[in-house]
Amino acid sequence: MSFKDQIGFVRQHIRRNRLRVFMTVLAATMGTAFLIVLASVGFGLQKTIKDDILSNQMVTQIEVYSEDMTDAKTDAMKEIDHVEAVVYRKQLVPVVMGEVEGHTGSMNTHFTNFGDEQASGFKLAEGRFPENQGEAIVGSKFAEQLVDESVETAEDEEPAYFEGELIGKTVNLSFSESEDGAETVPLTIVGIKEEPGKDWAFDGYLYVDQSLIGEMETAYAATSADLPEEEDMPFTSSQVNVYADDLANVKAITQTLKDDGYSVYSVSEEIEQIDVFFLALKAGLIFVGTIAILIASIGIFNTMTMAVTERTREIGVMKALGAGPKLIQRLFLMESAWIGIVGTVIAVVISYGVSFAANAILPIVVDAALGGETGDSFEVTFSVIPWQLVLIASAISLSVAMISGWRPARKATKTDVIGALRHEL
Amino acid sequence: MIEVKELSHSFRVGKKGKETEVPVLKELSLKARDGEIVSIVGRSGSGKSTLLHILAGFLQPDTGRVLVDGTDLTAMNEAQRAAFRLERFGFVFQNFQLMPGLTAFENIELPLTLKGVPAAERKRKVEELLESTGLTEIRGHYPNELSGGQQQRVGIARALITEPPVIFADEPTGSLDSETEQDILNLILSLNRKYGITFVIITHDDEVAAIANRQYRMHDGELTEGGLRHVV
Repeated sequence: MSFKDQIGFVRQHIRRNRLRVFMTVLAATMGTAFLIVLASVGFGLQKTIKDDILSNQMVTQIEVYSEDMTDAKTDAMKEIDHVEAVVYRKQLVPVVMGEVEGHTGSMNTHFTNFGDEQASGFKLAEGRFPENQGEAIVGSKFAEQLVDESVETAEDEEPAYFEGELIGKTVNLSFSESEDGAETVPLTIVGIKEEPGKDWAFDGYLYVDQSLIGEMETAYAATSADLPEEEDMPFTSSQVNVYADDLANVKAITQTLKDDGYSVYSVSEEIEQIDVFFLALKAGLIFVGTIAILIASIGIFNTMTMAVTERTREIGVMKALGAGPKLIQRLFLMESAWIGIVGTVIAVVISYGVSFAANAILPIVVDAALGGETGDSFEVTFSVIPWQLVLIASAISLSVAMISGWRPARKATKTDVIGALRHEL
Repeated sequence: MIEVKELSHSFRVGKKGKETEVPVLKELSLKARDGEIVSIVGRSGSGKSTLLHILAGFLQPDTGRVLVDGTDLTAMNEAQRAAFRLERFGFVFQNFQLMPGLTAFENIELPLTLKGVPAAERKRKVEELLESTGLTEIRGHYPNELSGGQQQRVGIARALITEPPVIFADEPTGSLDSETEQDILNLILSLNRKYGITFVIITHDDEVAAIANRQYRMHDGELTEGGLRHVV
């Protein structure tokens, strides 16, 4: 019997029992859709949390510590596979004071290479990167570093921070609080760094090109003659961050750096833990969803058993005419597979619909329930259906359909021809 | 040619562990030459149906052999016997055994479909047969829309469609009135003459048995040959 004829045969049977087959397909659909939607919540939450971490730009960053960092060493790090950028920042150790239009404060100064910074994802909220000597970029909270000391404020009041436009202003750096006699280094602010992803991160830094170290050192030397001698204090401390091109490569790069003798910290291990947690969660959700499919499988089993019982005489006639046991079995397995396939296809379509609706409506509902306090930052993906989930759910659903159709199909092949021909309905 | 050699079969009845054996066929032998109509007459319970089931390969005998043109049917497994039936045998049943969900056309077509004959060729063959058996008008009817005589004609057409050398008929007129019975018997006779098909007919009815060239009588599982005659 050709495959086309087998399909025709199965279709004819299904048509004769439309209602029963429809109810069974419905049960299979509900079970499979339940599994997909349930597991999609696990995928959705994982995505939300991962996105949150990723948006902080921290995950691909590997912090490297070394007593004697040099440019040659950081250049060597750039050669490691999958390293996107290596940022070598030198933080000024001696206290330096800055002054902008009468507002003063101590400056947390970083010497860096803006080319590397840009490659690592350093972004500006406004302005531009320094192009000339004597230009600088400031952190998003830089204004809060600058206070006008001449304005008297009560203790519970905020001090008189600098207000207004920073770009274009000159910040005068000096190593001595007394303005007279101290050598100042004027810098023009040309850009303001983007706010850090984490709300608690306070970025009041001053970023300048590393070529300025020399000038600063000269200024420091001129000033420090008047200051008490500090023993063996280095002028700058090093901070090296290596950035991987992808989260997946962080682990390998971390290992390479460790092998090279550096002290290293990266969040790849934390991400791994999150992944392990969500893997367990998703497996659990899929397991619960599978129970729904198993319940649906009882329906398939029932329908197929009924089909075999009802068609005992027909099976007998077919066997008498010369249909082999394998053909009989295949015809019934095809029927249960048909129920499984149609149920799964409908379930996938419905699941995508439910997932879309959940993502569109639930945030609004939750926001309303919390009295609109969640604000713009409330971006939660409730449900994500990746193709892998569709694949897993389809495999489970189809396997269960085939397994539940197996026994009835076997029963059909064992039908005794003589008994079946005597069978009356 | 069909040859049956020393065929014995018994049924086991009763509860498990306390079964008793009831012999149904007792070392019987028979022959059906190509182109013959062979009848096996007997009362119900005489074992004639069991004999037919073994001849058709529905049942494996306890001992003895069934040779069809030299091929031993009893040495085959179930799948092989099914394939053999499809190739070599046609069947006509007492209660027609048509598929209720298929039209007359589709019922006749069924053996060809099982054989994997392409649809176009199936259509041509069934059309031809419908014409020659006068069933063209009822081709689209379902079995429950047909009279007993029409259903049996469809049943016979289904047995004929694969052009088998042998057709087994189990009480082919058992469910029909006497007038229709005569029609069906005439049809069997004409097919036998026209195509040389061997018919093995099981019946309790001596009138039906009378159309056979070779008659056997079955009694308590034993077979006696009732004589050979040539139907004119």
